[in-house]
This record gives sequence, C-alpha cells and structure tokens, in this order.
Amino acid sequence: MSAGTQVHANLTEEQVREISEGLDEPDWLTEIRLEALAALEDLEMPDVIRTPGRDWTNLHELDFESLVDPLNAAEDKDQVGPEEAEVLPWSEAVADHEDLLQEHFGSIVDPQENYLTALSTALFSTGTVIYVPEGVDAEDVTVRTEQNSRSLFNYTLVVTEESSSVTILERQSTGEEAAEQYYSGVVEVAAGENSYVQYGSLQNLSEDAYNFTVKRGVADTYATIDWIEGNLGTQLTKTEVSTTLSGDSSETQIVGAFYGHNDQHFDLDAKVWHRAEHTTADLVTRGVTDDVARSVYEGVQDVGADAWDTSSYQRENTLMLSDESEADASPKLIINNHDTEASHSATVGQIDAEDLFYMTSRGVDPRSARNMLVEGFFVPVLEEIDVDELREDLEELIGTRLRERE
Amino acid sequence: MSSDQDHLQETDTEARFEFKKEENAAVKSDKGLTEEVIRMISEDKDEPDWMLERRLRALEQYQNMPMPSDWPGMPDLSELDVEEIIPYIRPDVDKREGVDDWTELPDEIKDTFDKLGIPEAEKNALSGVGAQYESEVVYQNMQEQWEEKGVIFCNMDKAVQEHPELVKEHFMTTCVPPSDNKFAALHGAVWSGGSFVYVPEGVTVEMPVQAYFRMNSEGMGQFEHTLIIAEEGSEVHYIEGCSAPKYGTHNLHSGGVEVFVGEDAHVQYSTVQNWSKNTFNLNTKRAICEANGTMEWVSGSMGSKATMLYPCTILKGRGSTDTHITIAFAGEGQDIDTGAKVYHNAPDTSSTIESKSISKDGGRTNYRGLVHIADGAENSSTAVECDALMFDNESTSDTMPYMEIEESKVDVAHEATVGKIGDEDIFYLQSRGLDDDDAKKMIVAGFIEPITEELPIEYAVELNRLIELEMEGSLG
Repeated sequence: MSAGTQVHANLTEEQVREISEGLDEPDWLTEIRLEALAALEDLEMPDVIRTPGRDWTNLHELDFESLVDPLNAAEDKDQVGPEEAEVLPWSEAVADHEDLLQEHFGSIVDPQENYLTALSTALFSTGTVIYVPEGVDAEDVTVRTEQNSRSLFNYTLVVTEESSSVTILERQSTGEEAAEQYYSGVVEVAAGENSYVQYGSLQNLSEDAYNFTVKRGVADTYATIDWIEGNLGTQLTKTEVSTTLSGDSSETQIVGAFYGHNDQHFDLDAKVWHRAEHTTADLVTRGVTDDVARSVYEGVQDVGADAWDTSSYQRENTLMLSDESEADASPKLIINNHDTEASHSATVGQIDAEDLFYMTSRGVDPRSARNMLVEGFFVPVLEEIDVDELREDLEELIGTRLRERE
Repeated sequence: MSSDQDHLQETDTEARFEFKKEENAAVKSDKGLTEEVIRMISEDKDEPDWMLERRLRALEQYQNMPMPSDWPGMPDLSELDVEEIIPYIRPDVDKREGVDDWTELPDEIKDTFDKLGIPEAEKNALSGVGAQYESEVVYQNMQEQWEEKGVIFCNMDKAVQEHPELVKEHFMTTCVPPSDNKFAALHGAVWSGGSFVYVPEGVTVEMPVQAYFRMNSEGMGQFEHTLIIAEEGSEVHYIEGCSAPKYGTHNLHSGGVEVFVGEDAHVQYSTVQNWSKNTFNLNTKRAICEANGTMEWVSGSMGSKATMLYPCTILKGRGSTDTHITIAFAGEGQDIDTGAKVYHNAPDTSSTIESKSISKDGGRTNYRGLVHIADGAENSSTAVECDALMFDNESTSDTMPYMEIEESKVDVAHEATVGKIGDEDIFYLQSRGLDDDDAKKMIVAGFIEPITEELPIEYAVELNRLIELEMEGSLG
C-alpha cells in the first residue's frame, strides 16, 4: 500500500523502542509494538463502505507523512477517579499491573487488525488503565485528554471484576492547534461477570484534526456495557464503537450523538456481536448534518449461530439542516440464529415543516423555533445518558453550535 | 380454487420443473468464451454488423473486468467456471423466429411447456406469450387486438432484424451498458433470445404479456435479453417465468432487462424465478423512468444455487415513481442475495421497497439494497421495509441496506425486522384444528401476502404453490 510505504519511511524501530523504553515497558510489550510496526507494510486501511462509483470515506487522503510525529507527543491530561478503583496513567499501570496488561492488552482490539490500529499500537505514548476490583462501585472516573502536538496516540484499558460497576467520562479536545493534527485512540473494555460499565466519550477536537478511534468491549455473563459517543470536533473522524456479548444474558447499549457542520466528515460505526444466549442490544444514534458536512453511519447487528433468545434493536436518525450536506447510512443485520427478535430502522429528513409552522404560529421566531426543534431532536439520545456532566456538556455544545448559526 | 388453476393442482410435485428432455440441438457452440464463439453466434443469427461489433466490444470489456470479490457477504461464486459454460444452443425447430401455434412445435418442446402450464395460462390470462427454449424463442404469439394498436411483442433476435432503429438506440446503451458489471458485459457478448416489447403512445395493454424461459441442456448458459419500451402515457405488464431441470454440472443464467418508461407511462415487470438449484443466476435489470412515469418490479426468487439480482430504477423525470416488491426463499444449499436499487435523480420522485425473505434448512437470504437521493431531488421520499422469517438455526438471514442522501428536503425511512415463526401463532392455529405443517404454511402465506396480492391470480397461486413445495418434506 502506498500510504504504508509512505509512513514507514518515516518510522523506525528506534523510535518505537524509544517510546517503549520511556514508559519502562517490559520486553513483551516492546515486542508487540515492533511487530505492529513491521506489519504496517502489509496491512490495509480500516474497511469503509463502497457502493457503485463511491467510497463513503476516503482514508487514503490522510497525509501521514506530515501528520505523524512519533517522538514529540504532547498533551494535558487528567486521570481521576474514586479511591476504591484504580485509575492509572499507562507507565504506572506498567509498573504495578503487568499481569493485568499481559492478560488483556491487545486481546479485544487486535493490534494488527488494520493499518491504523497497528500504527496506534506501535506509537502510543500515553494511556489510562482503569481497574475496578470485585464488588466495587466506582462513579465519576474522568479521563481528559488535551492534545498539544501534531499527533497523539492514546490507549485505554478498562477491566471490571465480578459484580463491580464503573462510570467513565472521557473527553478529547485540542489545546495548541495546528493546521493538521491526528488523534488516534484504542479503547479495550473487559467487563467481568455481572459487572456494569458505562463509558461516555465526548470528542471535541479541533476542526482541523483527523481522528481514528476504536472502542470495543467484551461482556461476560450478566455483564452490561453501555457506550455513549458524542462527536462534534475534527474534520475527519472514523470511529467504531462495538461490543461482543460473549457471556449469557449480557447486554449492551450504544448511544450516539453527532453534529457535523462546515466540511466535517464523520464515519461512525456501531456494532454488536451476539455470541451467547439471552443477550440484548440496543443501538440508538441521532445526528445533525449542516453546511457541507457529511455523515456516514454503519450499524451492524451480528447474531451468531449459538446466540439463542437474542433481542437486538437499532435506530438511526439524521436531520439535515443544510441542502448541501449529505447523510449516508447502512444499518446491517447478520442473523444466524432464528431464535432472534431483531429490528433496525433509519431515517433521514429535515425539520418538519408543520412543527416549525406550529411553533411560529405560537409567536416563536423561526430561528428560535428551529433551534428548539433541533435540541428536541436530540432528547431521546440525551435521556439515555446517566452521567449528568456528559449530558449537560453535550447539550451545551449542541446549543452553542446552533446559536452560532444564522 | 377455480377450474382455471387445475393445471397447477395436477402437477403437484417438483417433477413439474424437474423433468429433463433429450437434448436435441441444431447448433451448439463450444464451451467458453472466445471471439470465435461470439462470431459464430452472431453469424448463426445472421446479425447486422453493428450488433456483432457490440458483442465483441462487450467481450473485450468482460475479459478486462475482474470478478466481483469485495462485496461484504457476497455469495460464493467459486464453483462457477464461465469457461465451462456452453453459451449458445439453438434447438432444432423449423422456423427460426418461433411459431405462433403450439402444435407446430416439436413434441418434446411442446410437452415441456405443457407441463409448465404455459399454453393453459395463455388462454386464460394473457395478452401474449413468448417461450424460450435454450437460447432461442420457439413460440411467440400475441392477440390481434394489440397488434392492431401498434404494440410489438416479439423475440429480441427478430427485433434486431425488424426494428433496428429502436434496438440500436436502446440496446445496452444508456440503461445497462456492458461496462456496468462483469456479468452485464458477459451478457452483452453472448446474449440470445428474450423479448422485445414496444407499446405506442397512449396504449394500455390490459392483460399481461408473458415470456417463459426454459434451460434444458446440461452445463449451458442462458443469456436472454428483454427490452421494454413504453411510450408516453402507455401501460403494460410483463411477466417472466424461468425454470430448468437439475444436472450435475452448473448452469448459468445471466439475463439482461432494460425498461424505458416514458412520460406518464406505467410498466410492471413481474418475475417468478424457479431455476434448478445448480444454477447461478446473475442478472442485471434496470429501468429508466421519465416524468410522472411509474415502474413496478415484482420479483419472486425461489430457485437457483446462488442469485445476485438487484433490479434498479433510475427516477430520471420529475414526479416519477418506483415500487419494488420482492420475495426470496432460500432452502438447503441456496444463497439468494437480492434486493433493489433506486436512484432519485429528479424532484418529487418517490420509491417504495418491500422485501420479504424466508430462509430454511441452511439456506441464506440477503437483502442488499441501495437508495441514492441526488442533490436537487427535492421533495423526494423513499420507504424501505424488509422483513425476514427464519425457520431454523442452520439458516442465515442478512440485511444490508445502503442509503446515500445528498438532498435535505426528503423523507427517508428504512425499517427491517428478522424473526422466527411465532410459537404462539402456531399454537393458536393448532388450537383451531390445523396441524403443525398447515399452520406453518398458512403463516408463510400470510407473510408473503403483500407480494402475492400484486400478481395476477394465476401467478399468485403458482407462487404460493412453489413455496408450499419448498416447505414440504422438511417440516414434519
């Protein structure tokens, strides 16, 4: 691949060793990084949807030559949580919890899954490990990352032991802006038996930035993983949020909200793999496209042959505020067990003219009426968010973006 | 059931489709695809040079195109070896353009269509009938009243000779060019037979016209081309049926259908496909709709080993409308990958897609569909509804819709559900005295009801009958 040779020319084993040594990593971790680096040459970009004559997202336009600057990563980071749980920066986790990392690192997101995961694995210089011991309820874990360099590669691991619970709020933003920046994040969540994880994420990077993120969880028996995914920043985002329901009676919910304006391009995937009995999934995404923004949504509900008694639901709704924007959607059902109740739906439309007319007839000026209707459109998604702070921030960011508009 | 449908009851078993006839060919091409084979087909048909040139150009395009491979979850085509397929067999009949009296046909061919119930249906419900055996149309007839109004219904080869201007303009040019996909290119090179339908301005053909395609020989490919031109304000319903007996080696069916729907015109294209379960069925069907025109596709896919078929409508004119109704039934060893494509390229256009699929005994169905609304196609709306029913845990049911919306003043909705036959529904019917088999049959009949009610009664009955046949034996 041409992009591969391009970046490879810039990247060396020495750089990767330097990053790994700087974090005091054991040899086996350095090895995984070096293997990922070596694999770059043969790996493909993440899959994007293609229809006759059209690629829904073009990742080959990313100019890695100028984007990746492995040794000069800079950030401002908060990693805080309650005392009962451990919320550790990567280097501390390496020192204190090598066993935990050995068990889980790279077990959920294969470092060599594609070109960008391999790049992230080889080069990540910062990360967070959240460990919740058996029976502990940990609220308000906050991880805040402010990117201050051209590229930043971030890694997060969440491990919850039996019957524990945790709510996590992660945010990404940009401090020092540059003409083009690249943020890459890999998140692995291992939810133990009967544990509960809510992982909320608010991506509000600079609108000049590129973003590639994979968040993937595996839910054990009776475990629940709920994702909340807010996307507002970047000029190009390619993300996947997914759960493998590998334990009987496990559950997942993926809630997404996005608001694209200017020339933003969001490629958002929500996926669930039902791999055990009595599992339930609920995928809900709502978003707005404005100006010449384009949204691409792929939802996958994959029910395996052994996933008896599955319930799986998916809804995606896009509101187009501008005639020049584009909204693409592909909600997919892959069903291999007939003992399944599965449905999906997707809609695209604009603000309902009758609703607008009703409100203006009540004396609301058209602009306020429109803003209220858009805010109202997001309510079904916002209602699913447990963490007040995340909900309020998302509401405010949407409101601000609307009020900036004519 | 009225006595009209007796012929359907009499032939209650798969034998109705499974019987084989001695192969009795006047001309049979070599296997595979070479320029020589193409030239031989064209020469045997005594075609004008322009058609030979189109064939050769399509062959070149075919040779330069890769096999499709990057479609997510596409059917396995690895067992299909186009080089092993015999593309052209002309059956041994006296009259090249097809007779208009069944009794003039050789006994074995007449017997074939009798068993399929075609002459019977012609008497009762159709304006005209064409019947293709191997690569050639052997029977073609239309009621005189339509001929008098200028309606043309003839076989495609004859149309090349007698209506060259119409064919030259419309044949694989703007609608389905050979470059569209590998199998369209293949089709362009080796096509033979098929129907040509021309309906003049303002004429409504009240009863459907039908073509029936039958493959009899082992290892052959059938590549019939259907071209329908409906002028302004006209109306026509075209029905196509297909079947073949099963042999050890694979057959290939790669048909091409092009429909031109004029302003205010209305075309319905219905097909019930029951190819044998060793047939690869890879078709390209497309309609172009002018202002206020209406295109309706009704498709039933029962047969074949693997089907890839996505009838496409291009809504080119303002206010044009498309309806897709599709039903797929995949049993053991079958992969039915079918769906719909609609391009909304003008304002005030609307489309409705309704898909029902049933999978059982390890079969796989997939709805694969694309709705594209172009920038500027204001006030367009589309509604897609896919429902799937699964009989057992060996089967697979996938749904892969794609929506590309470039215009904001639109109404786009997609919905899909997948489920099994409800135990409660079966219990209810059993409590009313039905046995398990009948209860399931009744539930399936209800499930596909929205499709069958769109078909003329003869075909609705046939479709139900086919599905009952498919269900028998393994449900007990």
